[in-house]
Amino acid sequence: MHYPWWFVPQLTAPMLIAVIATVHVLVSHYAVGGGLFLAVEVGHAYRTRDRAYLDYLRGHAAFFVLLTVVFGAITGVGIWWTIGLTSPLATEVLIRTFVFGWATEWVFFVVELIAAFIFLYYWGRLDEKTHLAVGWIYAGAAWISLVLITGITAFMLNSGDWAVDPSARNFWAAFFNPQFIPQTVARTGGALLLSSLYVYLHASFFTRDSRLRDLIAARSARPAMLGAIMITAGGFSWYAFLPDSAKATLASAAVLNVLIVLIFAATIIVFAMLYLGPYRNPGWLTPGFAILLFLLGLMAFSTGEFIREAIRKPFIVYNVVYGNQIFPEQVPRLRAEGYLNGGLWTRAFAAEHYPELMVEGRIDNSKLLKLPYKDRLALGEVLFMHHCNDCHAGSFGYSAAGLLLQGRPREAVLDTIKRLDDNFFMPPWCGTEQEAELLTDYLMTIKSPPPAGIRLWEKPGGANE
Amino acid sequence: MDPNMFFDQTAAAVPAPIWFVQFFKVLGFTLHAVPMNLWYAGLLVALFLHVRGNENARHFGGRIMRQMPIIVALGVNLGIVPLLFVQTAYYQVFYPATILMAWTWLAIIALLIPAYYGVYLYAWGCKNGEKLPWWKTAAGWCAAGLFITIGFIFANGMSLMGHVGHWGELWSDNSVGGAALGTALNIGDATLWPRWLLMFGLALQTTAVWLLVDVEWLDGKAAVPATAKQALGDGDSADAKQASDDYRRWAWGFAKKLHTFGLVWFAAAGSWYVFGTWSAGLRESMFQWPMLTITAATALAPGLPWLLMMVGGRRRAVVIFIALAQFGVLGVNAVSRQIAQNLNLKPYWDVYSLPENVQWGPLVMFLAAFVVGLGVVGWMISRIRKCDPAPQL
Repeated sequence: MHYPWWFVPQLTAPMLIAVIATVHVLVSHYAVGGGLFLAVEVGHAYRTRDRAYLDYLRGHAAFFVLLTVVFGAITGVGIWWTIGLTSPLATEVLIRTFVFGWATEWVFFVVELIAAFIFLYYWGRLDEKTHLAVGWIYAGAAWISLVLITGITAFMLNSGDWAVDPSARNFWAAFFNPQFIPQTVARTGGALLLSSLYVYLHASFFTRDSRLRDLIAARSARPAMLGAIMITAGGFSWYAFLPDSAKATLASAAVLNVLIVLIFAATIIVFAMLYLGPYRNPGWLTPGFAILLFLLGLMAFSTGEFIREAIRKPFIVYNVVYGNQIFPEQVPRLRAEGYLNGGLWTRAFAAEHYPELMVEGRIDNSKLLKLPYKDRLALGEVLFMHHCNDCHAGSFGYSAAGLLLQGRPREAVLDTIKRLDDNFFMPPWCGTEQEAELLTDYLMTIKSPPPAGIRLWEKPGGANE
Repeated sequence: MDPNMFFDQTAAAVPAPIWFVQFFKVLGFTLHAVPMNLWYAGLLVALFLHVRGNENARHFGGRIMRQMPIIVALGVNLGIVPLLFVQTAYYQVFYPATILMAWTWLAIIALLIPAYYGVYLYAWGCKNGEKLPWWKTAAGWCAAGLFITIGFIFANGMSLMGHVGHWGELWSDNSVGGAALGTALNIGDATLWPRWLLMFGLALQTTAVWLLVDVEWLDGKAAVPATAKQALGDGDSADAKQASDDYRRWAWGFAKKLHTFGLVWFAAAGSWYVFGTWSAGLRESMFQWPMLTITAATALAPGLPWLLMMVGGRRRAVVIFIALAQFGVLGVNAVSRQIAQNLNLKPYWDVYSLPENVQWGPLVMFLAAFVVGLGVVGWMISRIRKCDPAPQL
């Protein structure tokens, strides 16, 4: 409630995070797994004196740097950019809690970056031992970055004791949250699997030598399958350590049921393709096979990230910050004093446009329902923007309120608002009775009528007449 | 609209000592400013030299373009530090300012990706002195334009952070239902333009200093333009030395001109900024003891590397002092900006009055990682220094 709300038409602002985060993880996991791949495989190529493989790895390293250092690094910064714009209060809490986790991760990022450039640009000019050591420095730093960031993102899904026990409000309790180990295992596995899929994609296009292609296919199959097993193990423990509300959301939302099935199906297919293809029949590695494998891997990954975002509802940080930028402990005060009063920018809006409502710098809630209808609507829109727009577009768009409420009479809409958290994945209503009336006024203007042809019995000449 | 309405004075405790946050914010910005200056003005200078210059100019233009991918990567990375610490202590000004201009602020990411790939395209075309296809040349120019645009957006965001009085009007003009549309720009703020231009002046100076660092320390024994090398026989060491001397002479001459130009630019933009746009209150504070010392140092410091360049002689050792002096210029500038920002914000958001709840354990973990990280980077650099010649970027 300290910050202005950013209105993104149709999509809603937080969906921008989902878009950018999903794109980023597809590269950032490769940045970790690819580093391990290069360190292990360059070591193997040096030991076996395989010049052709070394040449291939050099080309792959250039592709790797170009993709991870540019696109991966900048989209990573992009996530940071976006969370600050779309969830400023949650970001403020995360920064306050994890500033030194992020700062430490930055140190490893610097090491990672410099090691990546040296590994690539000094290829063939550093002695083999040093070159390999630099490769391992990159791989180690990249994996530690993954661990540090996972501690923070896992906290968002299950903050554990941190949120409920004031004596546990410290960095370590937050970092070593119940989701930390499951997600670290799953993400490490994801990095191994995804990097192999990138390798196959790259090798299928840029390797003409069948011996070399078979070698690459066979050698990358084992880490990929290990990755798939780690994802599965991490995934099951991830489920086991989910908060009850997240499990309930997962079980009750039809779209999430479908997505879970999709993940399992894609993971099983990818595993089977890895086993039957690169592992047992390396010759199968054609561009078509590699593209299909890659797309299935991306599908499983993207779906997983979307589910991770979706099951946190109604929180953006579990038990700490609601999706609409409110602390749970603020709710009683907001219900007593008013949502518009509780927000710095909502109160400033009222003071600027409706000075007649203000008494000693605060809104007098008893005056709200005496406003002319158009002003009630205007304040209802302010309430919608700041209370609802984090998850719901207006009349049309992502999870549009107008479509969700279509056909409901006014009293049903008002009742829905007052008993908002009867749906456990919704935050509680955080305003006064008068504000609920204003919001209802506004919602009635964006609500769609019921679809034609549904209530046949209401029509003259209908089926029941 | 009273700007105080946008602040909640019951702020949460900061997890680090305020001096620590300020120190790393300033240090991080200074470190970020070095590579940022090189892509901000250096890229443009390099393109002009590479396309329009003589053989020596093209040699340097090609070199800095080949270095540019690494410069950009380091610059982006080092920019994370001040942004992390600005959000630690200045969150109540950082988030509102950037949300008001959200689409433009987010556009930085969208512009940075093509700019970076544009740099790569141009850099890869610079190998072996071959003529670039038109589309690679265009990619380089587009990248330069995008970086300058990004600089403008940054100047917008940072100036809006410090000028809380503009928020109400920008919000009213760019909102629906009290929610920000994210389409505001702080172009009505008089401080924006000189602030943006001032950095460009500093960037020209940093580019000039980088030219000398490159010629005297990085280009090393290979300081002979490629075309001159081809014209010379392998054993013609006297001619090679002559070509190398020619290149060094050109480099020093050009660096002096460029630095002087940057100095004049900085002086003009700085005077406009201080005397034309600062509020009377800020000017009074910054011209009173003890702030006067930092104001004077900020104004006069750019003269030091210039003076060393003019009178120090063409010696490798002098370049170290010039580079240190230029780093000091950027550092003093960052300190001065920090002080001005604190003074501007003090009526609304006084960082020194924020409560502290220091996370000592994680702080020590960060410092330990920082020291170990420096050691690892130092070790890697010590290994590549033994490699010769300079890598093909």
